[in-house]
Formats: sequence, structure tokens, C-alpha cells
Amino acid sequence: MADKRTLIAVIGDEDTTTGLLLAGIGQVSPSTNDKNFLVYQENKTSVEELEEKFDDFTIRRNDIAILLINQHIADMIRLKIDNFENPFPAILEIPSKDHPYDPSKDSVLKKVRKLFGEA
Amino acid sequence: MDCVYFNVNNGFIEGIIRGYRNGFLTANQYLNLTQCETLEDLKLQLSSTDYGNFLSNISSKTLTTSIITEAASVKLYNEFNYLTNQLSDKNDLKLVEYIKCSYMIDNVALMITGTIHNRDKSEILNRCHPLGWFDTLPTLSVATDLESLYDMVLIDTPLAPYFKDCFSNANDLDDLNIEIVRNKLYKAYLEDFTKFINEQLTEPSKEIMLDFLNFEADRRTINISLNSLQQQHNDEMAIDPDLKRELLPNVGKCYPIVTELLANANDFESVKVALDKVYEYKNILENNNLEDFFYEFEMQLCKDAFTQQFTISTLWAWLKSKEQEIRNITWIAECIAQNQRDKINNYISVY
Amino acid sequence: MSGNREAVFPTRMTLGLMKTKLKGANQGHSLLKRKSEALTKRFRDITKRIDDAKQKMGRVMQTAAFSLAEVTYATGENIGYQVQESVSNARFKIRARQENVSGVYLPQFESYIDPEINDFKLTGLGRGGQQVQRAKEIYSKAVETLVELASLQTAFLILDDVIKVTNRRVNAIEHVIIPRTENTIAYINSELDELDREEFYRLKKVQEKKQRDTARLDEEMKLTRLENENELVLSTDDNAVQVPEEVPNLVQENEDDVIF
Repeated sequence: MADKRTLIAVIGDEDTTTGLLLAGIGQVSPSTNDKNFLVYQENKTSVEELEEKFDDFTIRRNDIAILLINQHIADMIRLKIDNFENPFPAILEIPSKDHPYDPSKDSVLKKVRKLFGEA
Repeated sequence: MDCVYFNVNNGFIEGIIRGYRNGFLTANQYLNLTQCETLEDLKLQLSSTDYGNFLSNISSKTLTTSIITEAASVKLYNEFNYLTNQLSDKNDLKLVEYIKCSYMIDNVALMITGTIHNRDKSEILNRCHPLGWFDTLPTLSVATDLESLYDMVLIDTPLAPYFKDCFSNANDLDDLNIEIVRNKLYKAYLEDFTKFINEQLTEPSKEIMLDFLNFEADRRTINISLNSLQQQHNDEMAIDPDLKRELLPNVGKCYPIVTELLANANDFESVKVALDKVYEYKNILENNNLEDFFYEFEMQLCKDAFTQQFTISTLWAWLKSKEQEIRNITWIAECIAQNQRDKINNYISVY
Repeated sequence: MSGNREAVFPTRMTLGLMKTKLKGANQGHSLLKRKSEALTKRFRDITKRIDDAKQKMGRVMQTAAFSLAEVTYATGENIGYQVQESVSNARFKIRARQENVSGVYLPQFESYIDPEINDFKLTGLGRGGQQVQRAKEIYSKAVETLVELASLQTAFLILDDVIKVTNRRVNAIEHVIIPRTENTIAYINSELDELDREEFYRLKKVQEKKQRDTARLDEEMKLTRLENENELVLSTDDNAVQVPEEVPNLVQENEDDVIF
């Protein structure tokens, strides 16, 4: 199942997305014109759009292995991310230019801490 | 003789420009800016400069580098529009038109790119450079190939003549073509601009403007020849000398001999050898940051331009200096925001 | 105690079964425990690496974002839009490989770059091309770090799950199955002992009775013998007169006959 997943998807602000696209992760499906990235625009992109795109990348599409998402955007759909438990695609929260990385918010690191707290 | 009558039409504008020129950030002010710990500090420092309280209605929480850049740019555009609205002389208006043309080229390229990918028109229009705005810009998106683009929209713009050379081989629009088209347009634009200055402008504007344009052309020439090198490895789409010749402007200090050499150069060494033949650009490839060199060079030209009186070319010098200033501020803000203090002094300040 | 055992009939056969079961449970327990330990070791290793990698990611992404700032500075405009529009095919792709850790398959993402594809050939041709190139390289490295982190993270999530299940099993065996089996064995043993004791007592009783009977019989026999001897003495006195020459063997053989 994992063989089909070859792409990295992004939900990020303009700079983050641009950079990652420069690295060459971008793919536009020829037939459907679906992009594997979403540029989040402050005050323009709604939470619903984010959630829909998130579902699209995580549930509907099956060619995505890793979903990168800016942490400050992840915060907006935190519940959805916390509740997402499938190992595929891997969801990775990344810092953005204007929002430095805060490990205390990261869904996975929260789990790590919880485990170590208990241990 | 021209100097005698210069003030009749342009005395006011020159006065304003020189006033603006005194508002450029000085080395000291830059030093203060680089000492800032946060963007909030930066905002505070900037408010004591000519920028005043241009960020006053932005709360410190939402303050980002892009917002600072945007606000500073808006200020620049307002000032530029204010200045150009004062112009009355036919040639001067034409000059402003020419200045705006380079931004128009970028906007057209942007519009075409957006059109190919069926992007939302209003979204693209937001991204267009305000100085390159023309009335028919929004209608650009109806075009699907270069012919119709030309017939429907561009024919009414100052860009029309530049497109003539672009029809030769490309009728379908794709990404690669656009970058080529853009550079072809620039070439035609620079050549036309130079011609205009040679024929219409008088000294001392002519001399100064030619310096600027030569530099602009050379910068493009050198950049294109260097950057096209990168494409040649493992790439069937490489830019061959003939195509390159169509991209390199036939003006500037490099033209004609070095330009020809550059067109044929296909490795770094030969570019370097070619450039060594031009006094101004000797050894520029030794130094690792080409863009910095160009910016520095441009700023020197601008600074020199202000030493001349009775010329409208200060408008160009002012615009370019101001753009550089915004880049500097953006750079410093970026360094502060991203905590990269060791590079914060890479800004270019000449005033 | 009696509530926490299996409902079995306390027989020797069940005891045998239970003993086998206990042995199996112990073996399973030690195996699972070892598995869980191996996984936990791996898990801790991974968590530590995730922590490190996340910190590293912060730095890497910052450098990358900064290289983009340099591009913006060099080109004098935001290339974001141009880049977004030029995208068509992914150059940077992921391959998933599986790694076996104590019977758990952990995915391992591997990134590879398709050198055939280059969507941004001419970006920055006129200006800032070198910076764009550099940003590309830096971001490619950054994405590699991200991919590495993603595999760690996925491994983390899967391991977390598996460890939970394994630990639950270990605990179930340790705290439920083993005590229960032990209880059952103890119960069977005690029941069997009880039976044994009863049996022993019964046997003892039987023996006692037997001994008693034997004793009585002996007594009786002794008695009769004594009587017989007395009679014999008397009769020999008579016989001595009557048949003094008679062979004694013969006399003894036909004792009874002689008497009755």
C-alpha cells in the first residue's frame, strides 16, 4: 500500500510553499489539475477550506506519503490533526518564517512527552 | 540652454525629489536598524526616519517582514505617483512611461502565467506591480496564445512594439516560453529605451540615463549568460547561442563584442574571460555574490546621478534607490525575524 | 482465591494440562516481555531521535526560509507566484521501504530526486538565478530532513501502537493468566491432596481392621493349637501304652484322623 504513496503534500504559507516547491515536491495531476499543495493566505483561506484540503490530502488521495503543514496553520485545525491516527500519510508540522517552531504544540511531540511523563 | 529653462517645468519636481533624497536612510540609521532586537523595535526605529508612522495601524502581533515591505512599497508608489503627476513636459512623461514599462513586462508575464493555469484573475491582479498597471491589464486573461494576446490587449499599450519579435517561434504559451518571452521583451524594451534617450533627451539627463540603461542591460546580459549555463547540464532544453543572442540586449557596455562572446560561452570560464574584457565588470565573478555587486554598482550610479542638477534622471535614481532601500529594510527585518544576525550587515547603503 | 481459577474438575489429568499451560504462559510471557523490551528500546531511541530531528528541523527550515529571503532580495520581487504556476511534475519523490523490528514492520521513507524533471528551469534567468539555484538546493536538503523526520514519526506512531498492544498482552499474562493458572494448579493440588489424605486414612482404617482381624485370627489359632497340644499330650499318653512302637511321623500326619 505504501508503494503508491510517492508524493509530499504541503499546506503552508506562501514562503514555505514556494521554498518546498523549489525543492521540487510540487505535482499537478495532469488529468484533474489537482495540486498537492495549498497556499494559505492570511485572513483569506477559511478553516473550512483547510479542513477540506486536509481531508483531501489525508483521506481521499492515496498517493501522498507525507503531509507537511505549517504549525500555525495546524493550530487552526488542531482537533482534526490530533484525531488523525493513521500512520499514512505521515503528518509533519513544520515551522514557518514568521512563526518559529513551538514543540509544545506539536501533536506527535505531545505524545512523546506524555509517554516520557508517564515513564 | 536647457538648464536655463529647466526650472520652468521641472524645478518643483526636482526640489521634491531632492527632498525625498534627503529622506533616504543614512548609514547611521541603518546601523540603528541593525541593532534592533525585534520587528517591533524596527518599527520604532523606522518611525523616527522619513518613513514616519507608516506601520502605526499594525499591531505588533501581526507585524511580519512582508507587511513591512508592503507598507514601505505602498509609500514608494504613492510618492512616485505624486511625482509623476507633476510632470508636464512631453518627453518627461514619455520617460515615466518607459520607466513603468519594465514593470508592465513583469505584469504581463505574470498575467500570462496565471492565464495558462486558469487562476483566479482577481488574485493575480493583486500581485501585479502597481507601477506596471495599465487599464487593459485585467483583460489579458482572455488570451490563449500570443497572437490574440497581442491583437486584443497589448496593441494599446506601450509594450506593443516589443512583442513584434516574440512571434517568431512560439505560438503556444507554456512556462518555458514565458520566461523567454519576458526576456525578449526586456531586450526590446531596453533597446527602445536607449534609442529614445539618445534621440529625445538632452544633456545631462541623456548621459546619466544612458549610464543607468547600460548598467541595466549589462546586468541582464551577465545574469542571463550565467544562469543559462546552469540549464545546460543534462538538459535538452538548453538555451543555444542563437536563442541566447535573442535574449541578450544589444545595448550596454558589453555590446557588441562581449555580448557575442557571452552568447557563445557555454561554461563558466568562458563567461569569465569574456567579462574580463569589460573594465567595469572585471573580476566580478571572483566575488561570490553577483547580485550584491550589481546592487552596489547601481547605488553608486544613483548617488552620482544626484550630483547633477537640472535633470529629470534623478527620478530614476530616486526610484531605484528607494527600491534598494526597501530591499534593505526587508533584508534587515528578515534577519531580525529569523535570527540570522551574522548576515544582517549585507545591506547596501550609500547615502 | 477460589473465585480466581478456572472451572475445572480437579483431576490428575487436568493438573497435567494446567501445568503445561503454565509453562506455556511463562514462556510466552518471557518472549513477549523480550519483544516489548526490544520495541521499547527502539521506541526510546526513536523518540530521542524525533526530539533531535525536530530541533534540527527548526534550524534547517530557518536556513531555508532565509535562502528564500535572499532570493527575494536578489530578484527584487516575490517569485512565489511564478513558482507556484510553473509546477507540473514532482521532482522530489518518496519511496517507502519496510524495516522489520521484532516482527513489526516499520515504514522507512526514502527520498529520491528525478533528475529528468526540472520545473523551474528559467526562474530567475534575468535576475537572481544563482540565488534561486541555491534556495533550491537548500530546500531540497531541508525536505530530506523532513522526510527523515516523517519516517521517524510514522515509526513512532506504529511502534507506540504495537508496544501498547504487546504490553497489554504481557500484563495480561503476568497478572491474569499466570496467577489464574497457578491458582488452578494449587486448587487441583489441594483437592488431590485432600483425596490422598482421605485415601490414606481409609487405607489406614482398612489396615487397622485387617490387623485387628488378623490378630483375632491368630489368637484363635493359637488357642486351638494350644488345645490341640493338650489333647495330643493326653492321647500320646494313651497311645504310648497302646502302640508304643508306632512311628511318630505317621502319628503326626494322621493326627486329626486319629483325633476325630
